[in-house]
Amino acid sequence: MNRVAAEAAVFARSTYLQYVALFQWATVRGYVAYKILLPVTQILFFVELGVYAAGRQNALYFALGNALQLTANAGIFGVIATVANERQFGTLPILLGSPANRLVTFLSRAIVNVIDGIATVVVGLLVTVVLFGLDLHHGNLPLLGLCVIVMSLTTAGLGLMFGSIGLVTRDAIIIANIVYYVLLIVCGINFPVSRLPGAVQLISYSLPLTRGVQAAREAAEGASLQQVAGLLGGEVLVGLVWAFGGYLLFRVLESYARRGGLQEAY
Amino acid sequence: MSTLIRAAFSAFRVSMRLRVVSPYAYLNWLVFPLLFTTVGLYVLSRPGAPVSHLAYGVLGGGLIGYWTVAYLDGGNGIQDERWNGTLEQIFAVPTPLVVILFGKVTGSLLFGILSFIPTVALAYFGFHALLPHVDALRFAISLGVLSFSFFAIALTLTPLFALWRWAFQMLNGFELGVYVLCGFMFPVAIIAPWAQGIADTLAPTWAIRAIYAATTTEGAHDYFTWWLAAIALSLGYLVGAYFLYRLVEKHARMSGDLALA
Repeated sequence: MNRVAAEAAVFARSTYLQYVALFQWATVRGYVAYKILLPVTQILFFVELGVYAAGRQNALYFALGNALQLTANAGIFGVIATVANERQFGTLPILLGSPANRLVTFLSRAIVNVIDGIATVVVGLLVTVVLFGLDLHHGNLPLLGLCVIVMSLTTAGLGLMFGSIGLVTRDAIIIANIVYYVLLIVCGINFPVSRLPGAVQLISYSLPLTRGVQAAREAAEGASLQQVAGLLGGEVLVGLVWAFGGYLLFRVLESYARRGGLQEAY
Repeated sequence: MSTLIRAAFSAFRVSMRLRVVSPYAYLNWLVFPLLFTTVGLYVLSRPGAPVSHLAYGVLGGGLIGYWTVAYLDGGNGIQDERWNGTLEQIFAVPTPLVVILFGKVTGSLLFGILSFIPTVALAYFGFHALLPHVDALRFAISLGVLSFSFFAIALTLTPLFALWRWAFQMLNGFELGVYVLCGFMFPVAIIAPWAQGIADTLAPTWAIRAIYAATTTEGAHDYFTWWLAAIALSLGYLVGAYFLYRLVEKHARMSGDLALA
């Protein structure tokens, strides 16, 4: 029991330190630029693109999809930047030299970003309600909230996977950019997954967001938990697989980085 | 004069060499444009979509890449020197700062315009999409006018980003807003009237309007007015840039605090 309490304390401390030292948007200007302006303009751009292509009557499809995809803003950028910043600030060798439980250290990287991801989606949904008249009167709001929480966790799982690569490369933030925008293409955000080639659809369903966005769209239309349970269960499973894969990769690359002295290469 | 040209060319050559080995440069001119082209073509080439939509899908990603390189790479001309620790040397040399930046920004634009190659190739090979009609001469002039407007903006942003770091953060956060206001992937005419008023103060909006007009036989083709508007606005930005450079010089030479900003 003492050991569990000790690990919980390490987790809480690591989460707190991750926030104060590595959460790169913890300034008013940084937050306004990347957590308000960027999400709002992303929604505006893709909604206008959708309106031009498919007419004003389809604006909500694009608005809702992009508002939900914002979970990846924190889950991918935030989590990957955590490792990248650790390297840039020169603290990565110290972290890898510490005796702290790796799983606890690894998972604590994601928590602040999961919370932040939920906050970003709330901003996105507010924009969608105010600017595009998203009517949630008939929507299942608690279920929609659950979908947002699940997607924030699963995208952070994917972020942990790619964040691990930051142990051996200094340009992990490039990977973050690519992954973030690839999700816009393959996860049914701006057009249905069914329009993608078969092989790409396989990739779509092996990534977070695809099922989560579908479930959230149905929740916004009033679906019940039973109706979207399969989608949400699949989303959780996908997120767990990516997070577990990320942890394994973290351990492998940690060892590789130690042997090559790569954690100090910048 | 030949000394200044040689200095500008040196700045161009060095910045191009640095760009070629920078993964970030490839992200901006290659990866982003391809990703946006893919989304754009999937959305714009829906079954039953008008042919005129295709032009926005084919060229939109390239325009986004061109702009991204111009404002990120060109606009950070002084910031890069600060990060590399060469800011003081740049100010200490007898060559005027603007000549060095001229070379660097020209390099950025050359790199940025390459964005059209992968995007047009993706449109053709991936989506069998071609521009429905091209008025080659007017298209080329419009692209030249757009390049001049990007050049003026990059040259104006360079001192702005150096003086106030938050300016870069804000523009970076507003990046997709610029895509909306300049009409990179859809006509500005579909956005709210008040936003169109803002869009009209941006030089690239006019040049891009001319570019897309050169790819269709439909709609207005008031090229001369659009080119003139884009050039006049760009010249206005350059006047603003002159005063910003004076301010940069003051911070760098008199107060010596530019490197600390």
